Amino acid sequence: MLDRKTLLTLALLLLPVALLVLGAEQLGVRVLERIAINLCISLTLVVGLQVFMGNSGILSFAHIGFMGVGAYASAVLSIPVQMKGMALPDLYAAVAGLQLSPYLAIAIGGLVAATVAALVSYPLMRLSDAAAVITSFALLVVLHTVMLHWSEVTNGPRTLFGLPKATDLHLAAGVAAGAIVIALLFKESRTGILLRASRDDEIAAAAMGVDIAKARWRAFVLSALIAGVAGGLWGHFITSFSPRAFFLKETFVILGMLVIGGASTVSGAVFGALLVTFAFEGLRTVEASLNRAQIFAEQVVGLTEVALALAMIGILILRPGGLFATAEIGAARPFRSTADGVSRPIRSTPEEPIRSNPTEKASP
Amino acid sequence: MTAALQFVVDVLSLGGAYAMMALGLVIVYGILRLVNFAYGELIMVAGYTLYLIGGSALPWLVMAAVAVLAAIATGIMTDYVAFRPVRAKSVTAVLITSFAFSTLLQNAALLFISPRPRNVPLPEIFSDTIQIWGVITPVRNVLTIVAAAVLLSVFALVMKRTMLGIAMRAAASQFTMARMLGVPANLVISTAFAISGLMAGVVALFWLGRSGAVVPGIGLEPLLVAFIATVIGGMRSLQGAVLGGFLLAFIDTGLNHALPQNLLQFRDAFTFSLVILILLWRPEGLMRGPATGQRT
Amino acid sequence: MLEVSALEVRYGAIRAVRGVSLRVAQGELAVLLGANGAGKSSTLKAIAGALRPARGRITLAGAEVPYGWPERMVRLGAAMVPETRDVFPDLTVAENLRLGAFTRRRDPAGIAEDHARVVELFPVLGERAGQPAGTLSGGEQQMLAIARALMSRPRLLLLDEPSLGLAPAIIERIFAMIAELKRTGLTILLVEQNAAQALAIADRAYVMRLGEIAASGPAAEIRAATDLKALYLGG
Repeated sequence: MLDRKTLLTLALLLLPVALLVLGAEQLGVRVLERIAINLCISLTLVVGLQVFMGNSGILSFAHIGFMGVGAYASAVLSIPVQMKGMALPDLYAAVAGLQLSPYLAIAIGGLVAATVAALVSYPLMRLSDAAAVITSFALLVVLHTVMLHWSEVTNGPRTLFGLPKATDLHLAAGVAAGAIVIALLFKESRTGILLRASRDDEIAAAAMGVDIAKARWRAFVLSALIAGVAGGLWGHFITSFSPRAFFLKETFVILGMLVIGGASTVSGAVFGALLVTFAFEGLRTVEASLNRAQIFAEQVVGLTEVALALAMIGILILRPGGLFATAEIGAARPFRSTADGVSRPIRSTPEEPIRSNPTEKASP
Repeated sequence: MTAALQFVVDVLSLGGAYAMMALGLVIVYGILRLVNFAYGELIMVAGYTLYLIGGSALPWLVMAAVAVLAAIATGIMTDYVAFRPVRAKSVTAVLITSFAFSTLLQNAALLFISPRPRNVPLPEIFSDTIQIWGVITPVRNVLTIVAAAVLLSVFALVMKRTMLGIAMRAAASQFTMARMLGVPANLVISTAFAISGLMAGVVALFWLGRSGAVVPGIGLEPLLVAFIATVIGGMRSLQGAVLGGFLLAFIDTGLNHALPQNLLQFRDAFTFSLVILILLWRPEGLMRGPATGQRT
Repeated sequence: MLEVSALEVRYGAIRAVRGVSLRVAQGELAVLLGANGAGKSSTLKAIAGALRPARGRITLAGAEVPYGWPERMVRLGAAMVPETRDVFPDLTVAENLRLGAFTRRRDPAGIAEDHARVVELFPVLGERAGQPAGTLSGGEQQMLAIARALMSRPRLLLLDEPSLGLAPAIIERIFAMIAELKRTGLTILLVEQNAAQALAIADRAYVMRLGEIAASGPAAEIRAATDLKALYLGG
């Protein structure tokens, strides 16, 4: 189950996380620590997304929604009782008197997210690929709507405040490392392998008796669990948030990280998160200087999104599988040339004669 | 009795809009097997076009026509920007590029126009009410029903009778074979996007009529409607999309009446739950799309 | 009419067609024979533009044909009937036929004329004109596919294994039909595994083996060469 390549991959992926922790501690700069914690949370999120998307081949938009579920669930359980009276005046009596340790709350948050996913998603796992994607999008919107309107629990569209600041670098890094381990283990587990087989050839897999829906469901629930924990983690770092934090913009960002890194591999998830986070920090500095220099009449906003959008489109044209398209970092081979004058059946929708380059095997 | 009629009129007008919306999405999906996430932005483009030319002295119909043309143009542009470069790569790639393109368009509106709502010019007749069969309803709703009926009928006719329509239906099941008969791939695809833009453009006129203003995120709700209607109707079936649209309108309007006041804000969650039940029963949707298999 | 030189088709590292050259004169019926996997279908598909060859030159009536452009082939006067037939299952028989005449859509009178002509050739299509093509039997679909190809008034007809999956009685009728078409002056390139029946109606034959032309010549000669038959055709 865990062969040498996988162990090597594990080591190589945990390395940046370890380096991050050491680096931030040594340098001791607050800003760097903040970036490092955010990075670890992003890592957790993207790796969680990879667990489902990478193995099933289905794009899921709902991930951030589950992050929100985890965040709010853990908040409701861990906000000090007196605070709760102010922050969530209408909260149900059963929960209003509870105050759990943040760590426990975060864990339970993850479980709540996983439970919601388990209940809602089973019928969706039997849908065709495109229908599944579309429905996941709808699921995101519905989760967002619920968060927006369930004032008793979420304080509605307003900011929920009062979470204890429990997330430090060690916790975040630990969770991120754990997520990486889980993702790799799942990928090489029986369910993971069967799921990947079905991704590549659905009919053959079904003929072998793979219950694709069930395998997908398992991956989806695991993915939601990780997202929920990431949500709790984030909530207890930032200590206050609103439903706005769990919608399209964030979805776009984690999707970008995964796509650019490579959805089929855990390495892709990790490096995608690293790459995009650093690029974002750089772009944000640029945006800030532009605004300070007052080059444009209004505040420049959305520069980072535009850049990310262009980067995603670029990667999809040049290297559709992402940076780590098929092989994990522990199994990577030197880059081989892909153009060799090979005949291909014409695609059904080319607008010009097909180029000689064979295209990548369809990977999410 | 009047209440029932009111319900019927509401469902028909909302359903007409939903059906057109869904059709615009399915027409691209049916032929290309590609989901266009930037579809909602076509409504946004139409809205902002109306806003930008709103100050001119042109009659509203002309401005509306320009807005619809803008939607059509953007639809075709979506193909060139987000689809063609990656179409041969993978289905997911196209989903993501269209999602990226959607973000691009929204942020462009945010940056270059404004994040705040902008008013669009609307003909007075939209807000007038009319009384038919004892039911009082905005003229706009009646016009939606008429427009939907006309557009859907014309569409059905084109699909059934004209060479182009036959070519498009053929392309939806065996694209390569259609090409081997001389059907130009480009033409079929661009036409599909143009029709998609036309549908979105017309729906935009009525959608904007409801709120009177346009925001960058205005396309989200119609997109969602198109998505859900398509999924319950059957992903590649044109008739299914129309049926799905009306069904969704029925569910939404029904829930509007049935839900108690405090739960009304969660209407979308209830709609979605019902949709999930439908999908439990029929995962492929209500109607089958064009077959791709052979008997022998 | 058709000239192919040094055609090469590859699937990944596998060279399915290596350096194949053939020609079909106007009015000729040439048949491309060979066992399974010899590369016959790949050759035909490359000629029709459904596959992009790695190398080679294809000329139709003197005009060079660019790679990977099936629309072009049909405009140059070639029509292909693929081995999977690919009738459009949800379109009616009549609509399938009408689409076959896509390149001549500006000539409705001509199309009507051709429609009548093919119905005469294949009466069953007239009977089933309003039925969805997917409900037709295998043999009927084959006839529809051929009729549809004829609707474009091609100068060259490319047939990929028309006998595939059909009952012997139907196969006989199909081959009789093909012979009849040849008599009307149509140039035909036929790919077949069913060597005996194909050779009976062909003028010229090419035998392919492992991606190359192993033998070629007048059909009568190839037919007589029994050792060839045993080696490459398997009866």
